Amino acid sequence: MPEESNNIFSNFFKINIAGELVSSLIVILIIVILSLIVGIMAAKHDPLKKPKGLLLIAEMGVNFFDNFSRDLVGTALPNFGGFIMGVAMYLFISFIFGLTGLPSPVTYMAVPLSLGLTTFLLIHYTSARYTKWRYFKRYIDPIPIFLPINLISMWAPLLSLTLRLFGNAIAGWALLSIVEYALRDLSSTLFSFIQSEWNQVFLAPLPLAILHAYFDVFSGLIQTFVFILLTSIFIGQEIPEDITLNTMERRKN
Amino acid sequence: MTGSLNVLAAAIAILGVMPSALGEGLVCAHALDGMSRNPEMYGKLRTSMILACALVETTAIYSLLISILILFTK
Repeated sequence: MPEESNNIFSNFFKINIAGELVSSLIVILIIVILSLIVGIMAAKHDPLKKPKGLLLIAEMGVNFFDNFSRDLVGTALPNFGGFIMGVAMYLFISFIFGLTGLPSPVTYMAVPLSLGLTTFLLIHYTSARYTKWRYFKRYIDPIPIFLPINLISMWAPLLSLTLRLFGNAIAGWALLSIVEYALRDLSSTLFSFIQSEWNQVFLAPLPLAILHAYFDVFSGLIQTFVFILLTSIFIGQEIPEDITLNTMERRKN
Repeated sequence: MTGSLNVLAAAIAILGVMPSALGEGLVCAHALDGMSRNPEMYGKLRTSMILACALVETTAIYSLLISILILFTK
């Protein structure tokens, strides 16, 4: 794992936490500042005029995530779009945070684990909220002899969500490090007539930019979308259908 | 340092990408089938195809993760 960056961070701040967690705090700070700016702009804006610039993008985003959560979760949880939008913004900014050169928060196991744990707890909370005592029936689902199997398989969403994010981020990081190391060596061999350690920098920039565009931006976008899609599907299937239909009728009246 | 048995274990673990590659090929083949039959669905099918590819890729990424863990943990 990127240990040098850890040392830089802990020497700079005189605190002993991992560099990825400091990156995570910076990402949260970016999102808070963005939200404050958008909130102030929305409060000052005249609702009869057309929105422009950042406000327009924010409204499109909110609209998209509201529609997304209504399609997959239904109308039973009206605030779910906000949660999904927060998770998606955090994940995507975390993925592209590797472009700044600081360690990306997703390459630290605790960050995907806590996101997966949020989904896991929400699944069980939603199930217990809507099915009350029948919630415990899921552990003995067809017949009581399935109890040990159900107790093991209940952890599958947590594991798959966590390892999918972590594996993607760490695979991209490992591949980029290998390519960077190889290109640095090749460059210092080819340009060895330059008697300085700066002869390492000639080959790496262009291929690494393309690889960064794929592994950080494209892969980050796809994985963010897969994460929020799976979260919505897992939570949406815990809500019984009659409750969804009831809330839909109440909305209409 | 990693011993030679660790390298062998990592090589065996990475074999898990083979079925995942086959699965991705199946996903793309069927998506292309659908696209050629009704081309007006091209946009929707492409989005779903990329999503399905990302989901199928997960198993390959598990094996990659395991082999990286075997190689780089002391």
